Amino acid sequence: MNHVDVENDLKNALRRENAPEGFADRVLARAANRGSSPKAVPRNSWLDFFARPLVRWAALAAISAGTIFGVHVHNVRRQRAEGEAAKERLILALRIAGSKLQLAKSKVNEINANQTHGDQSQEEKE
Amino acid sequence: MRKTLLLLALFLSPAFLRAQEFKIPPDVEKLSAKARETVEVTMDGPMLRWASKFLSADDPEEAKAAKLVANLKAIYVRSFEFDKEGSYTSAEVEALRSQMHVPGWSRVVGVRSERDGDNVDVFFKLEDDRMAGIVIIDAEPRELTFVNIVGPIDVDQLADLGGEFGIPRLSAKSLAKAQKGEHR
Amino acid sequence: MAERTTPEQSGEIAESDFAEMVRRHQSMVFSIAQHFLADRPAAEELAQDVFLQLHSSLATLKSAEHVTFWLRKVTAHRCIDYKRRRKLPQVSLEDAPEPAAPARSGDPFLARRMRQFVASLPETPRMVVILRYQEEMGAEDIASALDMPLATVKSHLQRSLAMLREKVTRAIGEVTI
Repeated sequence: MNHVDVENDLKNALRRENAPEGFADRVLARAANRGSSPKAVPRNSWLDFFARPLVRWAALAAISAGTIFGVHVHNVRRQRAEGEAAKERLILALRIAGSKLQLAKSKVNEINANQTHGDQSQEEKE
Repeated sequence: MRKTLLLLALFLSPAFLRAQEFKIPPDVEKLSAKARETVEVTMDGPMLRWASKFLSADDPEEAKAAKLVANLKAIYVRSFEFDKEGSYTSAEVEALRSQMHVPGWSRVVGVRSERDGDNVDVFFKLEDDRMAGIVIIDAEPRELTFVNIVGPIDVDQLADLGGEFGIPRLSAKSLAKAQKGEHR
Repeated sequence: MAERTTPEQSGEIAESDFAEMVRRHQSMVFSIAQHFLADRPAAEELAQDVFLQLHSSLATLKSAEHVTFWLRKVTAHRCIDYKRRRKLPQVSLEDAPEPAAPARSGDPFLARRMRQFVASLPETPRMVVILRYQEEMGAEDIASALDMPLATVKSHLQRSLAMLREKVTRAIGEVTI
């Protein structure tokens, strides 16, 4: 009987995985979009630059384009992750179906084997 | 003419067409509340197509799976594992089996084992002498599993997959040996 | 003249450290969620929410160790709540034996099966196992994180190990083809 070191196997199986690519950026983007900050940002003179309407609109346009692109990338990655999850479910379903078919076959084989053995014994007696 | 039209309406009625599909009885679905573990997979055609896109052609087992599901219409799995025996009734199992008493479906395997309490039924659906679906109902003392695969399926390939993905091909001898080991 | 205290002196965490915290702890938080939920999109969403909650709670945290403990605790609670609310189907495996070749330690397939075995445990014991073996937390810290008695944590660990041991033993048991 094989020695089973479950605790070691658990540590091995439950090793930390890398977070999905871009995870940190997405978190920081969401935190920034929430608009609230635990500490107030002191107003510096260089921020007055963004008070100009044209600069403000240009900055907004750039941020919007970046956000749209970021959302698109996020959606593509999310879809891929969802697809992988669906694939795993499909494999699981096929695995269960296949194993149950195997079980049915094995039971039939067992019955046939027992019957054959019984027939042979009967013939020997005769 | 009117009689013909009425008969046609009956055969094409949603009720009749639904009668040809296999439905999981609500009482069986509710078993998940009692089960320690439940596996529920419901995948229709579009979902199957999409999921199979992620099967890797480089992985031999996944490539086989991709070939197997290529023309399938749906896969349904419900598998309930219970803490103790007697968590589901024979009536609930019979509610599943009785739905197979419809034209087109034939029971090809029906095993009742008093020794270990395992009962397995396998049903095939044939259309124009070709496989069009399979249902497997496995009722064990602490587990009830229902599988319905809709569409043309290669049963041998499917059974082969029972030996892929880490589940072995069991022979009668090894099954008996494994069971002996369990009873030590 | 008013006395000024630095963030380190006051024991508070500066917001500018938030980005660094995310990068440092993203693997930990994501892995707890992923091992518990066995669903990558859900795990990422949950992990993001944990960090957003951290962002809101920075002022209450006193040290780097406190942040680590806080993240584990919040992630654990969010995972359990998430599962209970959504009643996600658990991945259940057949108790079928594994292929004839015995699994080796470090065998990626065994590791995958083990993760699936863990994902099949009931919610609370599952999280106890993850905190113990992924995060190598002691029973007392787990009890504190999950707000449960120490004896309960030990009981969950004992029973879960026994269950997992049985599943693994049967999975790599002597089955010939």
